[in-house]
Amino acid sequence: MNVLLPLPFVLPLAGAALMLPAWRSQTWLRLLGVGVTAGVVAVSVALAVEVAREGVITTQTGGWPAPLGITLVADRLTVLMLVVSSVVLLAILLYAVGQGVVGHSEARPSVYYPAYLMLSAGVCLSFLAGDLFNLFVGFEVMLASSYVLITLAPTPARMHAGTMYVVVSLTSSILFLTTIGLTYTATGTVNLADLSTRTEDLPAGTRTALALMFLVVFGIKGAVAPLHLWLPDSYPAAITKITAIFAALLTKTAVYAMIRTQTLLFPQHDVGTPLLVLAALTMVVGLLGALTQQDIHRILSFVLVGHIGFMVFGLALFSVAGLTGAILYLVHHIIVQATLFLTSDLMQDETGETSLERIGGLAGASAFTAVLFFVPAMSLSGVPPLSGFVAKLALLQAGFGSGRTLGYAVTSVAVLASLLTLVAMSRIWTMAFWRPRSQAPAPELPPEEKAGEEPGLSRQQRYSHRLVRTVTAGMVACGLAVAVLAGPLTSWSVQAAGDLLDRTAYQHAVLGEEAP
Amino acid sequence: MLMLVLFHATVALVVPWALRHDRRVMTYVAALAPLATVLWAARQTGAVAEGRPIAERFDWAPDLGLVLQFRLDGPAWVLLLLVGGVGALVLAYSVWYFGQPPPLGIGVLVAFAGAMTGLVLADNLLVLYVFWELTTLCSYILIGGFSPEIKEHRRAANQALLMTTGFGLVMLAGFVVLGQAAGTYTISAILARPPQGVAVDVALVLILLGAFAKSAQVPLHSWLPAAMVAPTPVSAYLHAAAMVQAGVYLVARLTPAFAETGAWRPLVVVVGLVSLIVGGWQALWQDDLKRLLAYGTISQLGFLMVLCGAGTRTAALAGLALLLAHGLYKAPMFLVVGVLDHRFGTRRGSELYQTGRRIPFAALATALAVASMVGLPPFLGYVAKEAALEAFTHGGVDVAVLAGVVAGSVFTVAYGLRFLQAAFGGNTETPTVQGLKDDAVSVWQSAFRGADGARVRLPRVALWPIVLLAVAGFGAGLVPGLWQEMIAPYADRLPAVGKGYELSLWHGLGLPIALGALTWVLGAGLYFLSPRLRPVWAALSRLPTGRQGYHVVLKGLFKTARGLTRRTQVGSLPVYLAVIVLTVLLLPGTSLVMALNRGTVPSLETGRVQPWDHPVQLVIGVVVVSAAVMAAWVGRRLSAALLLGAVGYGVVGLFVVHGAPDLALTSLVVETLTLIILVFVLRRLPERFPPLRRTRAARVGSAVISVCLGAFVTTFLAVAVLSRQYAPVGPGYAREAAEEDAKNVVDALLVDLRALDTLGEISVLAAAAVGVAALVLTGMREERPRHRDVPEPAETPGGRWLTAPGHPPLGPPSVLLAVTARVLTPTILVFSVYLLFAGHNQPGGGFVGGLVAGTAFVLRYLAGGMRELSAALPVDASVLIGGGLAIALCTGAGGWLAGGNFLQSTVLEWTWPVFGHVKLPTGFFFDLGVYVLVLGLVLSLTRTLGSSLEKEPEKVSGGAS
Repeated sequence: MNVLLPLPFVLPLAGAALMLPAWRSQTWLRLLGVGVTAGVVAVSVALAVEVAREGVITTQTGGWPAPLGITLVADRLTVLMLVVSSVVLLAILLYAVGQGVVGHSEARPSVYYPAYLMLSAGVCLSFLAGDLFNLFVGFEVMLASSYVLITLAPTPARMHAGTMYVVVSLTSSILFLTTIGLTYTATGTVNLADLSTRTEDLPAGTRTALALMFLVVFGIKGAVAPLHLWLPDSYPAAITKITAIFAALLTKTAVYAMIRTQTLLFPQHDVGTPLLVLAALTMVVGLLGALTQQDIHRILSFVLVGHIGFMVFGLALFSVAGLTGAILYLVHHIIVQATLFLTSDLMQDETGETSLERIGGLAGASAFTAVLFFVPAMSLSGVPPLSGFVAKLALLQAGFGSGRTLGYAVTSVAVLASLLTLVAMSRIWTMAFWRPRSQAPAPELPPEEKAGEEPGLSRQQRYSHRLVRTVTAGMVACGLAVAVLAGPLTSWSVQAAGDLLDRTAYQHAVLGEEAP
Repeated sequence: MLMLVLFHATVALVVPWALRHDRRVMTYVAALAPLATVLWAARQTGAVAEGRPIAERFDWAPDLGLVLQFRLDGPAWVLLLLVGGVGALVLAYSVWYFGQPPPLGIGVLVAFAGAMTGLVLADNLLVLYVFWELTTLCSYILIGGFSPEIKEHRRAANQALLMTTGFGLVMLAGFVVLGQAAGTYTISAILARPPQGVAVDVALVLILLGAFAKSAQVPLHSWLPAAMVAPTPVSAYLHAAAMVQAGVYLVARLTPAFAETGAWRPLVVVVGLVSLIVGGWQALWQDDLKRLLAYGTISQLGFLMVLCGAGTRTAALAGLALLLAHGLYKAPMFLVVGVLDHRFGTRRGSELYQTGRRIPFAALATALAVASMVGLPPFLGYVAKEAALEAFTHGGVDVAVLAGVVAGSVFTVAYGLRFLQAAFGGNTETPTVQGLKDDAVSVWQSAFRGADGARVRLPRVALWPIVLLAVAGFGAGLVPGLWQEMIAPYADRLPAVGKGYELSLWHGLGLPIALGALTWVLGAGLYFLSPRLRPVWAALSRLPTGRQGYHVVLKGLFKTARGLTRRTQVGSLPVYLAVIVLTVLLLPGTSLVMALNRGTVPSLETGRVQPWDHPVQLVIGVVVVSAAVMAAWVGRRLSAALLLGAVGYGVVGLFVVHGAPDLALTSLVVETLTLIILVFVLRRLPERFPPLRRTRAARVGSAVISVCLGAFVTTFLAVAVLSRQYAPVGPGYAREAAEEDAKNVVDALLVDLRALDTLGEISVLAAAAVGVAALVLTGMREERPRHRDVPEPAETPGGRWLTAPGHPPLGPPSVLLAVTARVLTPTILVFSVYLLFAGHNQPGGGFVGGLVAGTAFVLRYLAGGMRELSAALPVDASVLIGGGLAIALCTGAGGWLAGGNFLQSTVLEWTWPVFGHVKLPTGFFFDLGVYVLVLGLVLSLTRTLGSSLEKEPEKVSGGAS
């Protein structure tokens, strides 16, 4: 495992390093980007196989034993996140490759590709980090590249959004750093496994306050209400394929970090009540927000916020069932949210519009796009038998099985939130697909079966048309696969959740068998 | 049974696509799927009648209770016949109705048939929910998808979707609670051992809500009349025969276990009776025949609810018989409306005149259907109604129920007559017996007395489904024994009164038959009286309706959402930051204060916390804080930048006092470079900050919460210090570094012990460089300028000291600067290399070395502008950045080659002729990578900022001076 474990972030970093000097060759950038990301997928799958066989695997970077050196750890949750994220990373990169030739891409490939790879590296490092400070570094790599990406092809709106994004992210980083400082002060270590053995002996008040600090830190990046306000004002401003990756992975990485730190460091779970309240607040605020918007990207961003509430809810229940639900929801949401953004980009390609006030008539113009939107939209709304239903069901079961009045109340809110999602999604569907395009001039909607045959399009353009659509369809298929494979996925998640709460496997893997 | 569902799915997906060129053949082939259901169900008749249910199971996600369990028993068998039979006939009818049936519509219809089959057979609550929602989804597409350009259609589709899914979710919640109480989601297991308790009572109410919405029970019914905008085959199949019956079916399934539990029976019976009467009353007044039928359906479903939820054996027999009968008579009535609509261009009763003469066979078939509906013998409707009346003849509360049922049946008879008259008869305001008789005679004559000039030929495919369904209702009434045999195993689980009722055409004279006759008489009377009751109806229609309720709720929802979002999503960064800080204060802050009060953290009063180690720290602290406060205060950008610099240098001082020369050195160089870069940037900005728009209160507020945050962090730090119980790992680093023979612990940490962090941080730097370049160079050529491209300026003072003098960025060229730059460059570079090598044992290292080297080139730039810079270091900055990162990564990978872990360091030793024995830790190469990357970063920043300055110097400096 010495070689395999660092590869998910070493490969993209190496790719970025090789891209920087050779930025003039588009072909090189594309080949390298796709090759490296595909490599990450392969490595992630290999890691998953390894974890399935051997349990928690670790490597001590630099050969220094924990807690001195930095440990990389992969358990069931880690590899699941790695596999899903790397697949989505690859898909969106392929989409970008396809769109690079046609479409509304005014971004510089020389910036996009290396920054994208660094973002991948940051995400993967955050998943693998077995060390609090290294987790921070992973976040920084991810955020620094996201600063670059969000302002790609700058317009005044984008710059404004970017400023907001950067300042809020820096604020969260400062708070994160402060929290790490406080943690080290109180415990004398930053190795997660080592910390997990020490937090138990902290005075209860210190422990709770620390747990809440972690909650706030990751709550900002994860867009947990009321710390979410920045997200709907910044994400939608970026280029869609970038928003897609942000929406799919950045917030989820924060949720992952939240799950990891809360379960590993604070098993006493002193923060259950505030977390439950925040989860409910997030669902309601996010999804009500989605109903007020006209721009599809903004709707999707609000929906994203609302659905973070579902994952936080699963964590807040702090039971195997709840964590299983949270993990399933993570997997489902990463894939489906990315798919929806890609589809909305296709919709924009076809109509040049993202506003519900002006868009319309897509169902007649492009049945293919209609399917690509309808399936993930219904999945997001939790309509069976799609992946969202499976994840939501797990959460409902956990909530109603929690035996706490507050748990029941938040579960009811979750049920309501599902309906609100459906309202938001059916609104997009009705306005964009069913309603005729009222605007004069006459709709200029190239139906895509014909788009390929138009004489104006070169072979390369046809090729990229096809690639972009194939990738989006592939993502939809991934979402369906999650539903079909719900059985194995659930049992994997149940075990992952069990490991999270049990902690001993993690501690032993990092610190050795003699650890308490 | 799974195969049956999958077969539907396959047909739904493949057939519309494969046979899209011949739409008629496509539709006929599609009809094979529901036909297969009928045939399969027919084959199982024997097994079901013997009470041997057929079961199947497949695991989907067993951890969640999602197991595809199917089970065929009596009620399922009855429903399957209906779903399959009506499905096949409706599909055949569609060929005529649509002419060219749309592939999507046909596909979804077949998918619906499949979902319905699954729903009927499901023996697992969750699986039932899955199919339940699938039918909703199909209904959504079928209502809205045929003419989505009409606003009313879209609204109707959305209303149906939101109503049924919304309450479907409520039902799902009920399923989960019920399943958890029972410990299983398997329906047959739950029925065998029904759980008890408050949770179960609540769950059942939730489940009933879902069933009521699906079966369009008052007051959740308003979506059904609205859904009548769908094409007639859809209305006939989904909104009469199959989908809307699902709610009743679910109630029928659960009644054997829960009829006596909690609010089950009162709720079901009351809601059912209200729907029966309200629906029947409303149906009487509809002009649109489809809406008339829709209200009739609501009414009949109410009747079914009462029967299926009552929880007695007789009621259950009646309920299931009526379920079948209802499908068989309601579907042809819808289909005939489709015929009228198609042939005569309207489906309004007031606009149709004497159509019975023109399509006599359809009219006769419809009369058969209506006869079954009003319960005339020997139709199946009669058998069912007879049993229904019998079920409530046992006194007690039943009397009220019986009264309700009779009243409802009176309405049924009345609107049945009205339907016939409006659809086929003359156009009279006041119905008369004579009129009805004339209409009937004219239909009869046209059918059997030879050709009438007015007759319209109907294709067989339009007529046959209607006739077949209506005749089936007749035929089914002739074999009550069959239904008795099939339903009895189910009904026998319910309490029976007396010897046990049997479905049959003749029970002798008794109360039921008398009441039946009474309903006919009263119904006919009501029909003839109805014109006089119209004012009553008009008065009653002013009462709030379910439809209005739906719109009020929706409007309220959107209004709340807008209000909330407008107040929170204000788009102001200071507000968002304030919310973040307030959350910090509210959550960890409050918790800390409470902990201090309760004493769950070490007390701060013990005097164990020293405010400072050395008085100098206090002085520097005051300087840093006041500089920071002033930086927020001043109006000039340059002053703010300088004050921030002061903060930075103050921190450098703190590092020095703490005995961290390495950090101090690095910090110092960083601060200096930052200041230089800030000055570059400030040249492009106005001198002063824009005037503050925020109110005084807002500013005071921000000040207060900032101070609170500071106080919180300080307190927390003190608490954290006092909470520590373990030795920190820090000293371990010093020990390891000493073993490695590295005297500089910081450098050992950076390049060896925690090299992975460094690797991450240099990636951050690389990203930053890329980002700045991308931002600044937007709209400019991507090529970075080379010194040859920049025109050489005229003679500049000090020019000969430089390699390629150009325009200096700040002010006029200066000889002194040029000389200094040229002379110092080599010195600084040598120093930077020294720092790189010294890092192992002395203050220094790759990071600070790279920064120092960068300073040398910044100096050259200050002296001679971009031209000079390019000449001094003719390498692309991105090569340095990428190269540096690559060197660091290769060093890391070297650890693998040496058989160790990633980033594992080894010491290379070799002997060179002149140098002698050389010992070099591989960490040095890592440091070298850092050095190169940092140099690249400085270069990249200088170049991008510099080139943007040179690009448009006039325009830029205009505002600044």
